[in-house]
Amino acid sequence: MSALNNPVIAVIVSVVVAVTYFTLVDHFLMDMQGLDYWYLFRK
Amino acid sequence: MGPVTRKKVFSIMALCAMISLLLLPIIVSIPSPAIGADAPAADAAKKDEAKVEKGRDVYYKTEGIVVGAPAPKTTDGPKDYPRYNFESRVLLWFANQQHLYYGSFVLAVPIFCMIIEFMGVVTKDKALAKKYDQLAYDFIKISLTAYSLTAILGGILIFTFLTLYPAFFGYLSSIFRPVMHIYALMFVAESGTLYIYYYGWDKMKEGFLKWIHLSMSVILNIIGTLLMFLANSWIGFMMSPAGVDEQGRFLGNIWHVIHTALWNPLNVHRILGNMAFGGGVVAAYAAYRFLASKTDEDRAHYDWMGYIAMALGVAFLIPLPFAGYWLMREVYAYRQQMGITLMGGLLAWLFIIQATMIGILFLSTNYYLWQAMGRMRGAEKYQRYIKYLVFILCCGYLVFITPHTMVMTPAELKAMGGQQHPVLGNYGVMSAKNGGINVIITTTVLSFVWYMRGNKVSTLSWAKFGNIFMGVFFFFAYVNIIWLAIYGYYIPANVRVGLSVPQVATTLSCLFFMFALNSVMMKGAKQMGPIEWGKISVRSQYALIMLATAFTWMMGLMGYIRSSVRLFWHVNEIMRDNSPWAYTHTVGFAANMISFNVLFFWVSILFVFWLGSLAAKKVPVSATATAPGGAPQPAGSH
Repeated sequence: MSALNNPVIAVIVSVVVAVTYFTLVDHFLMDMQGLDYWYLFRK
Repeated sequence: MGPVTRKKVFSIMALCAMISLLLLPIIVSIPSPAIGADAPAADAAKKDEAKVEKGRDVYYKTEGIVVGAPAPKTTDGPKDYPRYNFESRVLLWFANQQHLYYGSFVLAVPIFCMIIEFMGVVTKDKALAKKYDQLAYDFIKISLTAYSLTAILGGILIFTFLTLYPAFFGYLSSIFRPVMHIYALMFVAESGTLYIYYYGWDKMKEGFLKWIHLSMSVILNIIGTLLMFLANSWIGFMMSPAGVDEQGRFLGNIWHVIHTALWNPLNVHRILGNMAFGGGVVAAYAAYRFLASKTDEDRAHYDWMGYIAMALGVAFLIPLPFAGYWLMREVYAYRQQMGITLMGGLLAWLFIIQATMIGILFLSTNYYLWQAMGRMRGAEKYQRYIKYLVFILCCGYLVFITPHTMVMTPAELKAMGGQQHPVLGNYGVMSAKNGGINVIITTTVLSFVWYMRGNKVSTLSWAKFGNIFMGVFFFFAYVNIIWLAIYGYYIPANVRVGLSVPQVATTLSCLFFMFALNSVMMKGAKQMGPIEWGKISVRSQYALIMLATAFTWMMGLMGYIRSSVRLFWHVNEIMRDNSPWAYTHTVGFAANMISFNVLFFWVSILFVFWLGSLAAKKVPVSATATAPGGAPQPAGSH
């Protein structure tokens, strides 16, 4: 826990968690609707 | 039998009476479906004797035996449309809207009572428990006075229908005949339950009896909700009829008539809307009492009451746009043309007004929360960041209210180079608007989180990480919402439409995860000072009144939009409106009419508040008379 209280480590961990979480939300919720979230990038 | 046991027996009997009242309409209704179910059997027996006519359900596409008359083909005359020297539709609009306002209020407030009474029962702090109990009692007292007015307005509405639209009302009653008496009995059950619940408050204020009393509120709300669902089935039928053939003849399945394409989204939207509206009205009541208070004690009580009502109202306001989105999606799925009339055609400008009102609701809520932080020691640290929230809110709001196309003169059109503004026109599409409203809601969630931790400092060992994580999570939530809004411009419409789901999920993630994280972090937190109830700016109370007025106005507006999307149909594609008023009003006329309804409602409800205050003033007099020089009455005593 003490390492997590280091602001730099806390920011890095938080960014990784938040970005991963929102990317997964975007991908899976589009997938559930039968739509491709990565449409533009695959084109 | 001791007095306590006798009370318990009576309480259980009262609860049983309520359950019987709840079950009564269901028991009475059993023969109704049976008639429909027996009809085929009876007809089968007489197959050789009489020819059975069958029809196809306009929505479910199932075959059924015709058991009703076709929808009447009305003509403009005194037979179908008797009238006074005034526009009948406007009279009906007024009667309907007032009944709906009061109906929503008296259905929403008992739900609040149930929640607050429950909070009082489970709270370990006895003083706080009594405060909750007193608050729940105050709520139900207001509701009770408004209840009689709701019933009177319901009567006026029925008479207005019978007098001005007899053919249409006759047809609708014939379709809903199997459940009409259930509705009436539900109303009796609601009244009976409400009175037992209200008058039993003092007799059942402790221990096991309190739980019985709380159970009564659950039954009361089940009845109220079922009542509303039944009423919703009528408007659902008018917009998206089912259970009838193309001539409007009833096919014997009442469930098909009730369970139309729009019934469920309407139910969800109305429950949330009623709760938000009820919270707004009670908050306005508290604000009114706060402003009229003469003592600090009263100010503290009404400040607290206003906050609780506002918090409950906003808790239901936050998911309301999503329920509205679902309703619109179902409208498009039912009839695309209906959706286009609403959002891209004749009524589109009303949605711009609606967006403006929604923005006002959220701005008022945020403003109230920022003001409310002023009564907490320690919350000053957030004050300097509020300007950034104002900026974010304003950006979201401006995008949200940007119209897609402008009403212009030919010269203006030429000067601008088209119907859409070269820059601002880009914001008038759903992709941008979804981004705008989600930014607004996320900011409101952030304001709530700040308010909840205003006077507290977490003492947990990982508090620093928690704070950083929270900040980063909110930051990336904004990034994701705006990114999805921009991404929508670069992909086809059929893919773009799905982006609203992850946008909503992002906002809801902030709501649930950040509230949960904040609650964990603030458990056992160091308090910088107590919340000084009553020490809040007067401006904040006007924000509460603004909130309630905006709710009322928006409810009137949305009711008008929903109703006028049928255009010249009484029942969409089944029964045509042939009265001289089968046209859509101008936006200006509709806005004036809605404003008149809002004004009338507020004047009349102020009268109800005043009546409530008369009853409240009497309490200390009788208390002093019965116990001169006695100890102060406990908060829970009524």
